[in-house]
Amino acid sequence: MSRPHPLPTAAPPLEDENLLSEILLRLPPQPSSLPRASLVSNRWRRIASDPGFFRRFRRHHRPNPPLLGFFDMYGCRSFVPTLEAPDRVPPGRFSLQRGDDDWFRPLGSRHGLVLILNRPTNQLLVWDPVTGDKHWIAVPPGFGCDSDSPIGGAVLRSAVDDHHFLVALVSTTETQDHTRAIASAYLSETNTWSDIISTPLPPASESRFQLQAQDLPPFECPTMISCNIPAVLVGDSLYWWLRDSSYNILQFDLDRDSLAVIPAPVDLYDSDINFSVMRADDGGLGFLFVSKFSVQLWKTKVICDCFNSWVLGRTIEMDKLFLLDSKVRESPMIVGFAEENNVALMWTEGSLFMFQLESLQLKKLVETRISFYQPFESVYTAETSIGGGHDGADILHST
Amino acid sequence: MATREAGKKMIMLKSPDGMEFEVEEAVAMESQTIRKMIEDDCADTAILIPNINSKILSRVIEYCNKHVPTTGATGAAASDTVAPAALAEDLKIWDAEFIKVNRATRFNLIQAASYLNIKGLLDLTSQTTIDTISDNSLEEIRSFLSTKNDYLPEEEQTIRRENQWAFQ
Repeated sequence: MSRPHPLPTAAPPLEDENLLSEILLRLPPQPSSLPRASLVSNRWRRIASDPGFFRRFRRHHRPNPPLLGFFDMYGCRSFVPTLEAPDRVPPGRFSLQRGDDDWFRPLGSRHGLVLILNRPTNQLLVWDPVTGDKHWIAVPPGFGCDSDSPIGGAVLRSAVDDHHFLVALVSTTETQDHTRAIASAYLSETNTWSDIISTPLPPASESRFQLQAQDLPPFECPTMISCNIPAVLVGDSLYWWLRDSSYNILQFDLDRDSLAVIPAPVDLYDSDINFSVMRADDGGLGFLFVSKFSVQLWKTKVICDCFNSWVLGRTIEMDKLFLLDSKVRESPMIVGFAEENNVALMWTEGSLFMFQLESLQLKKLVETRISFYQPFESVYTAETSIGGGHDGADILHST
Repeated sequence: MATREAGKKMIMLKSPDGMEFEVEEAVAMESQTIRKMIEDDCADTAILIPNINSKILSRVIEYCNKHVPTTGATGAAASDTVAPAALAEDLKIWDAEFIKVNRATRFNLIQAASYLNIKGLLDLTSQTTIDTISDNSLEEIRSFLSTKNDYLPEEEQTIRRENQWAFQ
């Protein structure tokens, strides 16, 4: 803590704004907390709407941000809230203006920031839906839009100074005889991209595709990043899925600046997307797999800091949960995963469900057609027109 | 197990009402403010702790005594025999008892924890205050904290209207 510690005064702590803000920091992270506290008195409102306080509030609750909802990656619904009143933030609070020529595709969301790729301009947008702040970055050479290879991306706030953030990009590139995964990371602090690193990818298996297309000439679909499933952050590493003959996991270790390919614990060939990377209960890399109505939770065995093998942990039977809720018969697909809250978003038979993996609570959210979703896990503050406002000191500024 | 005093450097803390407390340096250094004074060599004889009376200071020392890490030369035995989870659970129970104080004492402890920069104590005292009020109505919160509602009725209405969803 580098903040100065003023001498204690004779005033009761609730009259001392420094101490009052220290106490209010501990308000629960739920969205209604700060608007409700604002009503106590003008002093409370001044503190609750101060941008500096909000940053500290966000930092204080960084390990346990509420899951406000999910952004629809394909836009049939813009935002699906998950909390009940009085914490249900209206979806309209998180709307993003776009130009006629823009084609926004969300790549990932974390720490209250959303990363969006705008293909027509070859730019990335880091957007803070709570404050509305935006920061544009050019896609670095090597990940150009002239390439057909899908780009995967992720954003993280700096652990030291949350004015700043990191953007990680991964993609694939074809060389003469094989495909390589490439990766680079951008730091807002230095406004620079790191050198591109790469690793060879296992070849896409021709035979498997031929099985499906016996009348067609043999073809090989190149291995690429699976864009429907955003990366999950575990420790210092981000994990994306590779779409190849099966699914393998691409690890980008931000600390060591290295790439690795990890096999999935079960054969996912011809699989619907009924799996996700997750944080295991020991804090390591985990894997979630839904087969019919049975959920398998896998964890990794690590030897000498390297992935060694997968171990099956818990198995959870969900059929009763689903049957109680509706007449669901079809095995659910995983269409989103909230890493901080350990919540899998599932879609089956026209409805979205969220499944909390610790409490084993299943909740139906909305009836909708299938899409893929980005979780939005963040604290929330609402401004009032009576004073307050953001000071614009963030690097995330409207441009 | 060796006693804490054996071979330990002690320092003197003085409250403004003239009381002196001799404490282990490691215990006093639970306070980042005192740690800085010691590290900057500003603490050769006794450290005066302004505006924290002896009653509150003794409670703060009691807290630091309990929370000083038991690792190191003398504490190794303790952490070898007690699992970290059990130790944490024990501290939680101890904290819950420690914070059963009246409102005035708790507010004084918040002030002391803030000035002395003792994060654990500040967390405990502030969180307890928030937990006490979080399920109460606005009027109850104002009355419990002796805070005056200084809004004009129309201002209060504006805030409610702008964030109507939060008051449902």
